[in-house]
Parts: sequence; structure tokens; C-alpha cells
Amino acid sequence: MKRRDALRSLALITGGLVLVPSCDFSKEDILSAYQNLNITPSLKQLLADIADTIIPAGNIKGAADIEVQDFILVMVNDCMDEEGQKTFMNGLNSFEDFSKKTAGSSFGKLDQKQKESLILSGLSSEDESQKEIRDFLRTTKRFTTQGFMMSEYIQTQVKPYSLIPGEYKGDVLIADLKPVRING
Amino acid sequence: MANLNIDAVKERTFQAIVIGSGLSGSWAAKELCEHGVKTLVIERGRDVKHIKDYPTTNMLPYEFEHRGQIPQEIQKENPVVSRCYAFREDAAHFFVKDKEHPYVQEKPFDWIRGYQVGGKSLLWARQVQRWSDFDFEGPARDGFAVDWPIRYKDIAPWYSHVEKFAGVSGNKDGLPNLPDGEFLPGYPLNVVEKYFQDQLKQHYGDTRHMILARCAHINGNFDYYAQQGRAKCQSRNLCQRGCPFGGYFSANSSTIPWAEKTGNMTMRTDAVVHSIIYDEEKGKATGVRIVDAHTKEMEEYFADVIFVNAAALNTNLILLNSTSNRFPNGLGNDNGLLGKYVAFHNYRAGISAEYEGHLEYTTQGGRPTSGYFPRFRNVLKQETDFLRGYAAGFSANRGSYSDQSGIGMELKESLLNPDKYGPWRVGSHMMGETIPKESNYVALDPNQKDDWGMPLLRINVDYDDNDEKMVKDYLEQMTEMFEKAGFTNIQTRDDHRAPGLDIHEMGGVRMGKDSKTSLLNGNHQLHAVPNVYVTDGASMTSTATQNPSLTYMAFAARAAHHAMKTLG
Repeated sequence: MKRRDALRSLALITGGLVLVPSCDFSKEDILSAYQNLNITPSLKQLLADIADTIIPAGNIKGAADIEVQDFILVMVNDCMDEEGQKTFMNGLNSFEDFSKKTAGSSFGKLDQKQKESLILSGLSSEDESQKEIRDFLRTTKRFTTQGFMMSEYIQTQVKPYSLIPGEYKGDVLIADLKPVRING
Repeated sequence: MANLNIDAVKERTFQAIVIGSGLSGSWAAKELCEHGVKTLVIERGRDVKHIKDYPTTNMLPYEFEHRGQIPQEIQKENPVVSRCYAFREDAAHFFVKDKEHPYVQEKPFDWIRGYQVGGKSLLWARQVQRWSDFDFEGPARDGFAVDWPIRYKDIAPWYSHVEKFAGVSGNKDGLPNLPDGEFLPGYPLNVVEKYFQDQLKQHYGDTRHMILARCAHINGNFDYYAQQGRAKCQSRNLCQRGCPFGGYFSANSSTIPWAEKTGNMTMRTDAVVHSIIYDEEKGKATGVRIVDAHTKEMEEYFADVIFVNAAALNTNLILLNSTSNRFPNGLGNDNGLLGKYVAFHNYRAGISAEYEGHLEYTTQGGRPTSGYFPRFRNVLKQETDFLRGYAAGFSANRGSYSDQSGIGMELKESLLNPDKYGPWRVGSHMMGETIPKESNYVALDPNQKDDWGMPLLRINVDYDDNDEKMVKDYLEQMTEMFEKAGFTNIQTRDDHRAPGLDIHEMGGVRMGKDSKTSLLNGNHQLHAVPNVYVTDGASMTSTATQNPSLTYMAFAARAAHHAMKTLG
């Protein structure tokens, strides 16, 4: 019962855990915030690692630093239809196998370069048997990109968003624009 | 007790009642109150106070949990409203959910509604083009519906009246089929839109025009609008959230507070109108029965004059449900035409393309409007195998984007520094006039009622052969114009959307000269019950091609002044 109590306090802190009554302690608890998905903490961590490979930390924060995995799961849980959710979960669940089969090791043990080439090969795979991996990665990339660029961090600290875009100009010479380069 | 009852009746008696607080109702209320008429405005929904009740207006993109997208579960429960372009996370609270307010679709019809103070004036697209006599004379010339009892000269001063107060930005284009009005400075067209304008002149002379669309946004005369507490439009393009600047016209920012300020307006919100009370002895309408939205209790209010501005189809519903011995089929419905000749605008077709010229230019900033094609088909005479024609929106866009093909640091750098420019994207959508027909109608469901005891509305509205031909012609003509202008990669589409999604449903209580063939006279009075006025979309005899709201506003103001003469 102590474990349960500990988890209960953790749930209060994270707001995201529910206890699945079970005596089989080898089974992981399911995160209740995503009620349409069976997401365990380790699957969520894997998703964070994938998102962080898609947009890694550098001069400015990466996807995992700003918890883009939360956003991805909210979007998949709330805004995708059942079929899309199923494909996403199948892809996520089989991703470690895909990693072992393709890169020879579990995802966490690969270096950044290997991780990137694994994801790129999954994204561009035309192999029918890897369709779910591909769709899962495409969804993850799309929501990683959206969640990152539309995050509070980016929109306040990196590229401040203005509610007031300014007067319309219909003939701006591109050559006159001097955008400030942001080093990622 | 007797005295108490008299007091109760007195408390519930006004000089005028306006049913509906949206775009047209608020105009009637504003005119009446401004001229000292004690007016009760009845709104079926909740109050929405300017600024205070715009909860999302200053929210940043990341503050929306789904970044604007409506969750699946809500979409599944509300398929109709989910098809509306503006039903997004930032404005969903201003839309009626299908589930809460059912209706019967004899044929598919996407009925988009806003039940709150201000109605859909919070959500509208704010395009305001005047009609001309090429529109008012349409039915008589082409032999459909009935002749309008009014002409441009009757409504022109009222267009001016409402444009000035609402604030309309535009250019004086000098086109007889789209008369100029009281305009604040227009917004710029961009370099490719101007190029397309020139191309049209070159290839079509003076027969086809693409102009800046007139829009109800404040872009000048700022001291005048400051009296309403409104300020310059900031081009935020977040209008559907409600504008904290009052930059565009809504009932909430403009006419309702103006009416309120006179001290002559009483607002009764959360009151679903059941019917209009007809007194057989007096031979006129004497009041309105409402059902409290929360307690479901029925109450009665009384007035000398009643304005019905519940939005087109709900105005039909109220009149159809207002039965008495004298009017067993609905108020003023001696000829059986109430609910019939409903029409709309055909928005099915669109076209997009690319332009590889002017590649040294891009655009910056925002503007609340775009380009507009006034109708060029069958204007001076019949020239095609279909009646009437279409207006069209037009715009050209260009902005930088980022290459998102990679992943890792390459993707990150690219996302943070969008420095790629593709060709210009150009696009247009049609706004077709549809021909009102007796077979396009709304009626009361004989059995089913909503939670407030109102019969469900049955909607039976469909396209016809004329609409099909018009879609085809729009796509052919636009393709030709795009080709002549050198646009490439032209893509056409017909999305076969259901009627209603245009949110321009009209008719059912049409105006006309003859009480045998119409419901309303030229002053918007029911022929048979002259102290009842209808000045919203229900009153439309034909639809023309222009976005109709400006015309409803002008109708409401004009009719209110007519009613005041009868009040003495």
C-alpha cells in the first residue's frame, strides 16, 4: 500500500496519474490525463525522447525541455479520431521493436545521429508493414513542430507573438527585409 | 389584487418590442430608443457585454489547449456547427451547438446560429456591399419570386445612415452595380491583386472589376467612433472572439450600448419567444409571449409595435407559431406563403492558383478584408443559360515559410528562421444568387418540440439546376480570367456543401406589393398586421449576390423610423 500512497501523492503533484487497481506490480500504471490512450510513464518518456530527437535542445530549449510530449498526447487524445489514435498507439508501442530491428538497439541507447536516421527512415518508409510506424512518426513530427512553435516559451522568449500585426503593406521588397537569425 | 395585476401589466408594457438583439434587431432598438421610444429587447440567449464577456479576446495562441482546434468529441456531437469555418476553440462559446438546439433536416441544411446578445454580429465576416437596382429589379426583370416593393432610392439614405454609424471602410469605385457609400479610408490591395486588376482591364475592358471589398471596420474618423467607445481596427483578424477595440461593427460594441445609454431600452435576456399575441378585437398584435430559458415559465410583454428580428429562419418559426382564430396558419399568413421562398447564397465553388510574377515582393501586417468581384454576369441583360449571377471574393497571399522536410537541428533552425518564399498564392470563392422557390421552405414539425416547448423547425431547402449551371460558369470564367492573368497550377473545387453553411439564409416572410403574393409591404409591415415589422433576412424577396447584413441594418433603421411615425 505504501507504493500506492506514494503514487497517489505523485498524482496530486503531476495531476496526471491514476491508479489501476492491480496486484501485478510489474504492470505500469496508466496515465489518466489521456483517457482514450493507454499511456504508461515509460511510453510517455519514449515519446519525449522521439520529440526531442525531432527538435533537440541547443542554444535554445528543445522539445522535451518544454514538455512537448504532453501537447502531443493531448492532441492525439482529444483531436484525432479513434482510428488515428489506434494507429498512433500501435506505432508508439512497436517503436522499440522497430528501433531494435532497424538500428540494432533500443532507442534510448542510440546516439543523436543514430536516433535521427532511425526516425528519418521510419518517416519515409514505404514498407507496408511499417505503415503504423510511419503514420505514428508523421503525427508525432507534426505535433512536435506545432507544439514547439506554438509554445509559451517560443512565443514569449524566442519569437514574441504580437496580437497586433501592424498595418498592412502589400508591396514589401523582400530584399529590404533583414530578419534577425535565430540560432537554434 | 386587481391593482397589482394592472401594475404587473404596466410593468410589462412598452411602446415597442424588438425580438432579437443581433445585427438587425439592435439597429431597430438603437433607432427607436434614440428617438425616445420605450423599447423592450428580447433575447433568447445570455447577455454578452462588450469586452467583459469576450473571454478569449486577448488570449495568445499557446493559451488554447488544442491551439484552436475543436476536439473530436465535440465535433462528433455537433457535426453541423463543426463545418463552420469560424467554429474554433477561440469562438466556440458564441455558436449554438447542434445537440442543444435540434431541428429537422428534410434535406441537408447546415443551420449556423448564435444565441446571445449580439447574435451572429460577433461572428460575421463584416463584408458590407450595397445593393443596386440591378439587384432590386432582378425578380421583375427575370420573372421569378415577386417584384420588390422598394428600389435603391428608397434604401440609399438608410445605407448611408447605417454605414456612417457602423463604420465602413472602402474605396469609391464608381460602379453602377455596386454603389459607393459613406466610406472610411480603404485598406491596400497588394501588388498581385493590383496586377490582377490591371489584367482584367486589359482583357475585359470595363466589364469586369476586382475591387477592395468594403468592410465594417473603423479606419478613420476616430473622434466620431470614440463617442461609441470604439477605436481603430488593429487588423488583429481575431474578430470572432469579440473585439476589445470595437474595431468592427457588432451589436455588442455599438448599437446595443448606444440604445442602452438613452435609458429607453430594457433588455430581457434568456427569453425564448413563443409567439406574438394577436388581439382579434383590436385587430392588431398586442404583445409577445416568452418562455424563460431557465424556469420555463411563460410570461407576456405588451407593446404597440413589434419588430421581429430573430434571424431569418427563427423569425419564420416565431410567426408560424403565432396562431390565433384569425391566423390559424401563423401570423399574417393569409396566403399560405409564410415559410416559403426561402433562399440563400451558393458558396460551393472555389478556385486557387499560383503566380510566378512579382517574386521580389511579399506582404506584411494584417488587414480585415480582401478583394471582391461584383457580379458581372447578366447585369445589363440576360446573357447566359442561367438566371442572375455571382459575386466572388479574391485575394493574393505570400509569406515566408520554412523547409520542414528534415529533423533535428536542421529542422529546428529552419522552423525558427522561415526564409523561403514560394510563388504567390491566389484564390477566389463564389457567392451565387439563388432563386427563391415555393419548394424551398421551412415549416413547423407537427410533433417534435424543443426543451422550451417550441415546435422544431423543419427545413427543406436545396440547390436547383440554375445553381449547378452557375457553379460551372463561375469555375469556367474564373479559370479563364486566371489563365489570362498568367496564373498557373489552377485548381478548381466544388465542395457540394449543404445550403446554410453560407450563413446567408433568407426569405420566408418576403416583401412585395401585393398581399396575395407576399407577407410584408414596402415598409416591412405584415400586410395583415401592420404593427408587426420584420426587417431581418426573413424579409428578403430575392438574395442578390452581396453579403446581406448591411441591407438588413438599413432595412431595420428605415422600418424603425416608419414605425415611429405610426406611434405619433
